Amino acid sequence: MVTERAREFDTQDLLINVGPQHPSTHGVFRMVLEIDGELVKDVIPYIGYLHRGAEKLCETMDYRQGIGFMDRTEYLAAFNAELSYVMAVEALAGLEVPERAQWIRMILCELNRISSHFMFMGAFGVDTGVMGTPFIYGWREREGIIDLFEEISGDRMMYAYFRPGGLAWDVTTNFKARVREVLKSITQGIKDFDGLFTENEIFVARTKGVGYISAEDAIDYGMSGPSLRASGVPMDVRQDEPYLKYAEIDFKVITGEHGDVFDRYYCRLQELRESVKIIEQCLAKMPDTGPIMPEKMPRMLRTPPGEVYIRTEAPRGEYGVYLVSNGGNRPYRLKVRSACLSNLQALKQMSVGQYVADAILVLGSIDIVLSEVDR
Amino acid sequence: MKGIAKSLLTTLSTFSRKPVTRDYPNVHKALPERDRAFPLLLWDQDIDEPFCTGCHACERACPVECMTVLMKDNPNHKSVGGTSSRRKIIDKFWIDYARCMRCNICVEVCNFDAIAMNNTWTGHETSVHDRKDLVMDLQMLLSQSHAGAIKEWVPVMARLT
Amino acid sequence: MNTDLFGLQVNVWADAALRLQLIVVFMTVVVMGLIWAERRILGRFQQRIGPQKTGPFGLLQSLADAVKLVGKEDLRPKNADPWTFELAPFLVFIPIFMGFVIVPFLVGWNIKVLELGLLYFVAISSVNIVGWVMAGWGSDNRYAMIGGLRAAAQSISYELPLVLSLLSVAMVAGTLNLDEIVRQQGSVPYIVWQPMAFAIFFIAALAELNRAPFDIPVGESEVVGGPFVEYSGIRWSMFMLAEYAGLLIMAVVGASVFLGGYAWPLGEELGLGWQVVLVGAKASLIIFAVFWIRASLPRLRIDQLMGYSWKILLPLVLVQILVNGLVLVYGWSEAILGVVGLAGVVALVSITGRAANRPRQIPARAAALKGEAA
Repeated sequence: MVTERAREFDTQDLLINVGPQHPSTHGVFRMVLEIDGELVKDVIPYIGYLHRGAEKLCETMDYRQGIGFMDRTEYLAAFNAELSYVMAVEALAGLEVPERAQWIRMILCELNRISSHFMFMGAFGVDTGVMGTPFIYGWREREGIIDLFEEISGDRMMYAYFRPGGLAWDVTTNFKARVREVLKSITQGIKDFDGLFTENEIFVARTKGVGYISAEDAIDYGMSGPSLRASGVPMDVRQDEPYLKYAEIDFKVITGEHGDVFDRYYCRLQELRESVKIIEQCLAKMPDTGPIMPEKMPRMLRTPPGEVYIRTEAPRGEYGVYLVSNGGNRPYRLKVRSACLSNLQALKQMSVGQYVADAILVLGSIDIVLSEVDR
Repeated sequence: MKGIAKSLLTTLSTFSRKPVTRDYPNVHKALPERDRAFPLLLWDQDIDEPFCTGCHACERACPVECMTVLMKDNPNHKSVGGTSSRRKIIDKFWIDYARCMRCNICVEVCNFDAIAMNNTWTGHETSVHDRKDLVMDLQMLLSQSHAGAIKEWVPVMARLT
Repeated sequence: MNTDLFGLQVNVWADAALRLQLIVVFMTVVVMGLIWAERRILGRFQQRIGPQKTGPFGLLQSLADAVKLVGKEDLRPKNADPWTFELAPFLVFIPIFMGFVIVPFLVGWNIKVLELGLLYFVAISSVNIVGWVMAGWGSDNRYAMIGGLRAAAQSISYELPLVLSLLSVAMVAGTLNLDEIVRQQGSVPYIVWQPMAFAIFFIAALAELNRAPFDIPVGESEVVGGPFVEYSGIRWSMFMLAEYAGLLIMAVVGASVFLGGYAWPLGEELGLGWQVVLVGAKASLIIFAVFWIRASLPRLRIDQLMGYSWKILLPLVLVQILVNGLVLVYGWSEAILGVVGLAGVVALVSITGRAANRPRQIPARAAALKGEAA
């Protein structure tokens, strides 16, 4: 009936341009919405505003210099991005990472996952329309984690701390105590978010049943991470192909069942709790002293010719690094498999047919980092 | 409505907590020793000259090529009646802070521990009106260490150097 | 013809002009205070400090903002309709200002006592929607247009519950004169007899004022400020002034109609100072609740917003009016009103909860929506 009436009045669809300078495009993403009244009929995404050629730049640098650029591809979870890269280099060079360094890497990566998820909670909360409160909640917890990172690595976001073979330098002596302190504050932060959102009727009405994607479609789009798990696919690289010491850790893979915006939110909230558990186990198992680098490291790392693909579970999904070497001290080719880019593909599928306000929520629930999409 | 009441109570509980923000320009948080702002050169207080010999190691290792180094013969070397054992010494040094990405590699490759990352607030509050003012020359790079204003932290690298 | 102003015999017109002047000054100062208070209170809710640099506790923040806004360039987009664009702020502001004519701040302290005061208030306060639509339409900006149309739809929907909830009090009071309504509440405020009407009034007022969770027309994360998106400087500040003046007037009217205004609980023979404190405290309570809600609740979607008004609020308030009528006609006890009102509040809460927690029918809904869109 609606369509018939529309023909009678000769209506026109409206194109509105969302981004790259829009409060809720999470960076410099741009999408053009074709709307009919309040309903979205089409979504045309435009990416590339933040393209810096990070992969190509890495090909002109030696392995250590590349770390700084990897940090910048995924600025909300730089440790996870670094991890994929250094693991790829290690696999090529055949380096054995000392046990203690692996534990430290794991703790830092999980903490980084937590800080990234908190960032998601904050930004997503603002998308749903709460004025700033979730943002400050998320920021508050993230700040504690970042302060810890700063004490260890010296930088707040671009750590450049993982090195092929291990770590750049040892952690501070009060590392374990500080991590426990941060975990305590995180637990409070999770409780705050749970109270603010999970049962709130308006939040539930806004998010449940919105932006649905089925498990089959999600797999077809190559989605990964919490966005995929929310559709009920228990894919987690940490569980499927344990790297670092994940095999020795007992944790659950959180899945949703409905594949809507609420599940994507709720998966992340539960993953926060799961990460806290992982870190507690790591702290118990991590040795207090020990080497953080292999015994014999060359001054300039060279790798034998070969190629390797390493994937790890970053906060937004599978962060893969494909590295080709033809010998020498720099990559011949480096390709980053970004989870955000694949997840973003499903934007159209999820938001067509929804309301404009829902399209914003769907975009928020994918949790994109534009520097990772564009690289 | 139960959930709405829960949200309202949550915000009420944060209402009663202490603010987490700082009154920034007036109150600075204490920086950890390892904090990395921008690189600067260190001053050898014993001999009263820079540690840096202008060996170009950092310049070559810099991923973003933000450094320019020129060396000269040390006028204070023992062979010419001076007190220093450094045959060569830094002549001119520029670091473009606008380009620097604070990756710490210059500190790691330095054989003389002559360069360190600024770990004071002066290193973070570097905003200027013209980006060419961010190109620091030798005198600017040395002044803080010369005045004893920084407590340098040079990481003990695990067998990389 | 002369009237009495502070014990002086003054010409009617001079008296009105003087009172208007007083209201203008009072309103501007209070609005500045409100903006400051909102920023400080939201700051506390978010564990921030809020404005603190300008004057003690940042009290002069609004003044600094005003100076900045007045000093800013008044931009008009090239393709905007000049008349519509430039007149819109006035059309938003003037009706709000005219609303102050009947507000009973203190005993005998409104600009004009109108027999149909309540009717005048609801009539005049809904005129400002014209300004919103004009701002949205005249800006030649698609965000602004969507915002303006949303504002129109929302305002029309929520006008009804708002008016009817005020009407249910007027029915019991038997008058539309605001002063008279306040005076009747000397012993028991009307919120006791009409709790559901108050709840609906509060919700509808939030929507009328475009405050969270009904700030859809200005939704920052969707339409980036809606109708205001192209405004700057002094014109934008008029919108701001109108928004907070509207909040003030709504709070004072709510305090007068439901919370007993200056009359309850100490009687209307009170000194002027105490009356100010009483009315101020009651209005502040409402305003604080508005700020608190803004800090805590997400925004509704446009269809949910309309559905909530037409399917839940309107039927409930009609039931309230029906009960009022029955009680009045058959002369039943007022206690019945209170009981029915409380039951209504319970019904409102449970219906809202059930509406939100409906089981999700995702694929069906997605398919239906897609079909509709295609």
